[in-house]
Amino acid sequence: MQYHSGVAETTRRWVLLAYRLPREPSTPRIALWRRLRRLGVAQLIDGLVALPLDRRTREQFEWLAEAIEEAGGYASVWDARPSTAAEERALVNRMVEAVVADYGTVTHAARAAKRSDARARRRTLARLRRTMHVVRARDFFPPPERTMAEAAVEELAQLVEVAE
Amino acid sequence: MKWATRRHCHVDRAACAWLIARFLDQDATFVFVDGADDVPADATAFDMRGADLSHRGADCSFETFLKTYDISDAALDDISRIVHEADIGDERFDAPEGPGLDVLIRGLSMTLDDDELLRVSNRLFDGLYEYRRRANELGRVPA
Repeated sequence: MQYHSGVAETTRRWVLLAYRLPREPSTPRIALWRRLRRLGVAQLIDGLVALPLDRRTREQFEWLAEAIEEAGGYASVWDARPSTAAEERALVNRMVEAVVADYGTVTHAARAAKRSDARARRRTLARLRRTMHVVRARDFFPPPERTMAEAAVEELAQLVEVAE
Repeated sequence: MKWATRRHCHVDRAACAWLIARFLDQDATFVFVDGADDVPADATAFDMRGADLSHRGADCSFETFLKTYDISDAALDDISRIVHEADIGDERFDAPEGPGLDVLIRGLSMTLDDDELLRVSNRLFDGLYEYRRRANELGRVPA
């Protein structure tokens, strides 16, 4: 592999959020945790999370930083580049594993719903479509499991249509 | 009055700019800046880190505007729920228009500069406002 000035060509730019939030009260901590989960961040260490850099992710981190400071904590937002491709790969792998698990749950639920009655099928379909919307929003490196989950939901949708 | 916001408008900024121009300040002019350091001294900053008229708690900037200026209008409340779901998407509100509005404005921001974007998005929000106004008046889907 070719390296230039110590940085592998394969690395991309990331945006980091460094933060510290008081342990109590717990409400802002829980709210932050939910928002980080929705964004699909990779946790580097306690109080340091990363996302691939673009306008949207940088802005999302800036809003979080503001919310953290409002809650009495400290936060700062950084642009960053991992120093080796291997480090980046480990990070990406962790993020992919998380969404693969989410897609797996959807695929499983969609297939299981085929055996339930028409009303339950329709309910499950609506729920899974919502879930897919949420998971896709935090999926930065689409794995093959995404296509599988989409296909499973689509199969369920066709069954619901036939029943109507 | 002069208003300043961050460059590269997305749904929340576009909605706030529309609210300012239509409901708060008919002579509004907008400047687009990179960060808090570039806000002109005579401008009011909104929807950017460090500005008062910005995200606050769980609210997006559009919701902060409605609360700050004490604006009470059912159609604007509807739009604030739609903008919240378009911008934050935390399912706090049942606003299925949100994801669609997010995509439309995100797409426009890829093909237009900020001034052009606001010209188009203002018309979009005019239509959305009229739709919600008639829907509330009729109590059903308007045509």
